[in-house]
Amino acid sequence: MAYGAAEHHDDHHNPTGWRRWMMSTNHKDIGTMYLIIAMIASLIGGAMSWYIRLELAEPGIQYIDDFQFYNVLVTAHGFLMVFFVVMPAMIGGFGNWFVPLMIGAPDMAFPRLNNISLWLTAAALIMLVLAGLTGGGPGTGWTVYPPLSSIDFHPDAAVDFAILSLHLAGAASILGAINFIVTIFNMRAPGMTIHRMPLFVWAILVTAFLLLLALPVLAGALTMLLTDRNFGTNFFNVAGGGDPLLWQHLFWFFGHPEVYIIIIPAFGIVSQIVSTFSNKPVFGYLGMAYAMSAIGVVGFVVWAHHMFMTGLGADARAYFTAATMVIAVPTGVKIFSWLATMWGGSIDFKAPMLWAFGFIFLFVVGGVTGVALANAGLDYVFHDTYFVVAHFHYVMAIAAIFAMFGGFLYWLPKMSGKMYHEGFAQLQFWVFFIGVNVLFFPQHFSGMAGMPRRIPDYPDAYYGWNFVSSIGAAITVVGTFMFFVLVWQALRSGAKAEANPWGEGATTLEWQVPSPAPFHTFEDQPDMTGKAPAE
Amino acid sequence: MANSRRNVGSRNRRLGLVLTAGVAGMLGLAFASVPLYQLFCQVTGYGGTPRTEVARSELTGARGDGQMIRVMFDANVNKRLEWQFDAPSGERAVEPGVESLAVYTAKNIGDRPIVGTATFNVTPVKAAQYVAKMECFCFTEQKLEAGQEMPMPVSFFIDPAILDDPNTQDVHDIVLSYTFHPSVEATAALDAERETGGS
Repeated sequence: MAYGAAEHHDDHHNPTGWRRWMMSTNHKDIGTMYLIIAMIASLIGGAMSWYIRLELAEPGIQYIDDFQFYNVLVTAHGFLMVFFVVMPAMIGGFGNWFVPLMIGAPDMAFPRLNNISLWLTAAALIMLVLAGLTGGGPGTGWTVYPPLSSIDFHPDAAVDFAILSLHLAGAASILGAINFIVTIFNMRAPGMTIHRMPLFVWAILVTAFLLLLALPVLAGALTMLLTDRNFGTNFFNVAGGGDPLLWQHLFWFFGHPEVYIIIIPAFGIVSQIVSTFSNKPVFGYLGMAYAMSAIGVVGFVVWAHHMFMTGLGADARAYFTAATMVIAVPTGVKIFSWLATMWGGSIDFKAPMLWAFGFIFLFVVGGVTGVALANAGLDYVFHDTYFVVAHFHYVMAIAAIFAMFGGFLYWLPKMSGKMYHEGFAQLQFWVFFIGVNVLFFPQHFSGMAGMPRRIPDYPDAYYGWNFVSSIGAAITVVGTFMFFVLVWQALRSGAKAEANPWGEGATTLEWQVPSPAPFHTFEDQPDMTGKAPAE
Repeated sequence: MANSRRNVGSRNRRLGLVLTAGVAGMLGLAFASVPLYQLFCQVTGYGGTPRTEVARSELTGARGDGQMIRVMFDANVNKRLEWQFDAPSGERAVEPGVESLAVYTAKNIGDRPIVGTATFNVTPVKAAQYVAKMECFCFTEQKLEAGQEMPMPVSFFIDPAILDDPNTQDVHDIVLSYTFHPSVEATAALDAERETGGS
C-alpha cells in the first residue's frame, strides 16, 4: 500500500542545498516556493497600486506625467495580483501543501510535473517584468483588448512579452490543474470517498476543472493576438475582415471563470477555518461542495455580462442578466452555511477566524454590488466607473487576500512548526481591515458620481472620496508591512507549535502529522473507512 | 483497498492523458470559435451583420401598405488608405420588399494604384438581419489606379418581415455603413514599406 515510497527514489538521501529547492519534487517544498513567489509579486503589485493611489490622492498630475506609464501600472497591477499572487498562493501554495496532506496521500500524482509548473510560473513572472521594461510597456489593461493591444497602438515588443508571460503562466496552471485532478481522484486514502473530502480539497478540485477548461481558451485567443501582431493574421483586425469583439468573447469566456478560480479556493480555506474555530463540522457539507460546483458550471455561461456595452441585443442582455443573478443562489448557500456553522458553535476568535469573518463581510458587500451590476440597465451607467472597481476589489481581490492571510496564519504552525504572535496578528487584522474598507468603500460613491476607471487625473468634484480612498491605501501599506513583520517574528522567535495547535475543531488529516510537517508524510495511508466527512 | 503502486501509476497516467485531451479540445474550440462566430453573425445578423449575396428571387415585392423605412448612408476610410470615399447624400425612403440602389463614389487621391476592400455594418444592429444585399462593391476587392474615380454601387432591399418583428417596431431609420481599408495584401505591402521606410 505504501506506493508513494517507490515514487520517490530519493527517500533515504533527501537532496540538500540548492538542489532541494531547484529540483524539488516535494509537494511541501514546492508549496513553500509558490508562497514565496506570491509574497514577492504581492509587494511589486501592491507597490504599483499604492503609487496609483498616491497619484489619485489629489486632482491634477502630481507624480505620473507619462500616461502610458500609468496604463502600464494599472495593467501590471492586475496581471501580478491575479496570475502571480492569488493563483500561486491559493492553488500552488496552499493547494500543493495541503491537498495531499488532507487526503492522506504521500505527494502529488506527478511530482516532476509539479516542479515544471513552479518554474514555468517563475519564468512567467520574469517575462512579465521584462514586458514592463520593454519600450513603452503594455498599457492595455489586464483585458488586452484589441485594437489597443494591436501592433498599431502598441508597436514595440512589450505586449508580446506580456502575451508570452500569460502563455507560460497558463501552461503552468494547466499542468498544475491536471496534477490536482489526478491526485484528488486517484490518491485519496482508503475510505475517504469524494463526499468525505475536506471542503478545501473540493474547492481545489472545482478550481482545477475551471483552469482546465478556461485557460486553453485564453491560450488560443492570446495566440491569435500574437499572430495578428506579428504574422499578418486578421483574427481581430477589422481591416482584414476580423472582429475585435471576438477577442472580448474569448477573453471573457476565460475571464469570468478566472474570477471563480480566484475565489473558490478562498471558499475552501474559509470553510476549514470557520469549522475549526467554531468547533463544529461545517453546516451543510454537501450543499457547500455542490454550491462550489454549481458556481463553477454557471461561471461558464455568464461571460457577456462583461460586455453589456458592446451592443448586445435585448434578449442577450436579458439572458446574461438573469444567468448572472442565478449565481447569487449558490453563493448565498455558502454564506448562510458559514453563518449556520458559527451559530451555536463555541467560537474562538483567533486571528485566522478574524480573517474568515472579514472575508465573509467583504464578500457579501462585493456580492451585493455584483447583483446590482448584473443588471444590464444599471451597468450602462456604472460601466467603467469606480463603482466597478470597488465591486471587484471587494468581492474578489480583497476577499481573496483575506482568505490568504487567514489560511496562512491557520497553516503557518503546520508549515513552519512555529506559532505566530496572536496579539500582533489580531492588531494586523484590524489595521488591514480598516485600511481596505477606507480604501475601497468610498470608491462606490465616487463611482456612482461618475468617476471613470483607468485615468490618472479627474475633475475636482471627485477630490473628497479619492482623498479618503488614498488615506485607506496608506493604512493598508502599514497593514501589509505588519504582516511581513508578523511572519518574520514567527519564523525567528515564534513558540514551538504542537501537532494540532487549534484543538478539537481541527479534524482534518494535516493536524495528525507533527508540526512542522515532516518531509515525507502518509507513506502509509491512513484508513478513513467509516469516518465522518472531514469537515 | 489494494492499490498496488503500478496500478496507481498507470491509472494516474491514463487520467492525466484524458485531461490533456480535454485541454487540447478546449484549445481547438477556441480556434473553432473564429469561423463559428462569423457564421453565427451572418445567420443571426448579430452585431449589425446584414445578409449578403442574397438571390434576386427572394425579392418579395412591396406589400402595398405604404410603410416606409428611412435609409441613410455612411462612408469611412481607414487612415492608411489614400482614398476619398463619399456616401450618397441625404436620406431616402425605402419601401420594404422593393429593390433599392445606392451609389457611393471612391477616388484614389494617392499617387499609385492600390487595392481596397470595404467592411460593412448596419445600425441599429437588431435591424441588420432584415437588410439583404444582392450586389455590393463590398463583396469583392476594388482596385483604383492613381487618380481614378469609380462609382461603388450597392443593391439591396429590406425584408418586409421587419414590419412584423415585435423587436423592430421602433425601427424607422436604418444606416448602412461602409469602411474602406487597404486589402490584406496591400496592408502587407504598406507594412513592409514602413519597416524599410527609414532607409
